[in-house]
Amino acid sequence: MENDIIELDVQKELVSAYGRMVLSIQISISAGELVVLFGESGAGKTTLLRMIAGLTTPDNGTIKVGDEVWFSSARGINMPPQKRNIGFVFQDYALFPNMSVYNNVAYGQKDRDKIFIDELLQNFGLTEFANRKPEKLSGGQKQRVALARALARKPKFMLLDEPLSALDAGIRTSLQNEILKAHSISNTTTLLVSHDLAEVFRLAQKVMLIQDGKIKGFGRPDDIFINNQISGKVQITGTIVKIETQDTFYLLTVVTGMNQIIKVTAFESDIAELTEGDRVMVFSKAFNPLVMKL
Amino acid sequence: MNIIPAIIQTITTSGGVVLVDLHSGDCPLSALLVDADKLPAWLTTGQQVLAVFKESELSIAVDLSGKISLRNRFPCIVRSINRGELLSLVELSFGEHIIHSAITTRSVNALELTTGTQVLALIKANEISLIQLSTQNYQPKTINNKLSTINSQLQTINPQLKT
Repeated sequence: MENDIIELDVQKELVSAYGRMVLSIQISISAGELVVLFGESGAGKTTLLRMIAGLTTPDNGTIKVGDEVWFSSARGINMPPQKRNIGFVFQDYALFPNMSVYNNVAYGQKDRDKIFIDELLQNFGLTEFANRKPEKLSGGQKQRVALARALARKPKFMLLDEPLSALDAGIRTSLQNEILKAHSISNTTTLLVSHDLAEVFRLAQKVMLIQDGKIKGFGRPDDIFINNQISGKVQITGTIVKIETQDTFYLLTVVTGMNQIIKVTAFESDIAELTEGDRVMVFSKAFNPLVMKL
Repeated sequence: MNIIPAIIQTITTSGGVVLVDLHSGDCPLSALLVDADKLPAWLTTGQQVLAVFKESELSIAVDLSGKISLRNRFPCIVRSINRGELLSLVELSFGEHIIHSAITTRSVNALELTTGTQVLALIKANEISLIQLSTQNYQPKTINNKLSTINSQLQTINPQLKT
């Protein structure tokens, strides 16, 4: 495992809703790390995962895993996806609808190692559903099956593309725990795409911040995110759900990560770049908030 | 949000309380912070940072006399006033920066503010937050969007700075 460092140096021109952009990524990822790719839609996160998996071909560059070259434009190498030994989990589960849970998981396993499959089913709490078809499962259970199936291949890498974004908050937390557990058991190098800052802090050993096709930061979440860059000690992240005009200012309604609703005033210079649905940080000095015993 | 670039002059700490004295152009300003942990690396003398504060915390004085505890006093000229029924937004030139103060329309009338009035904008040190000015790390979009303006202002504060 020590040798299985992923070395990425890839470029690809993308055409997105925002226009043309060159995705250009140079980074090495150590074996066993759990790295969360964080960035806006269209920043290139999914394309990067697909290039590692071999589902999208880079315009230029190399992808090396330990001593193996998976892709090299200079040497004309492009290893097919099935040879890359990767477990891929998608947001929409992508299970085989006509197969039982057991067979879905076993499908990923070349040797049909029954003991290992049973162990996976047990680890993901799926033993009692082994004979059910995916349509009889909840979203959270389906994603557990998808995770177990991906791990069944004993992959060198797990690539998870927003695996939890279709699930509601409670299920998401328990699936996050399962991902952490699976990672600590298998110690498989894992790349996970997420939009959710809370998820980044829960899961990531390292976060790769991608903006406009470039890496804007790579390191521990604490070091990458702003907590440290802004002196304000009260920091809440959330989503703007409503903007109302009041006299000469605006009243924003923000739903926080903890599902609390807060109201905050904003002025013309703020509002120019804010729209409903934007993720924002609301911050204040440690001095300002008042505290009351409940 | 008002954002003005400034350079840290001195940092005084006592326990978890940190008083940071800065200069924006030739105007001194102070920010009072709470930081029980180690100070972040960017909070050092000579660093360029952004001082940010809310429009509603910025007061306006005309012909200020007597003694007052506020140390942050920015000489400004009124550029325009957006009068609301209760609250007005006063746009001010502070050197080459534009800042805004939200005060009651009643106060705008009492101070007889009009375009061109010379005023002092006042804010308590504990209302000012500081933000790291970094080209490497993640920046909130609000800061990113303003970086080009901020950079040109920094050039004038500190011409030898390369951006």
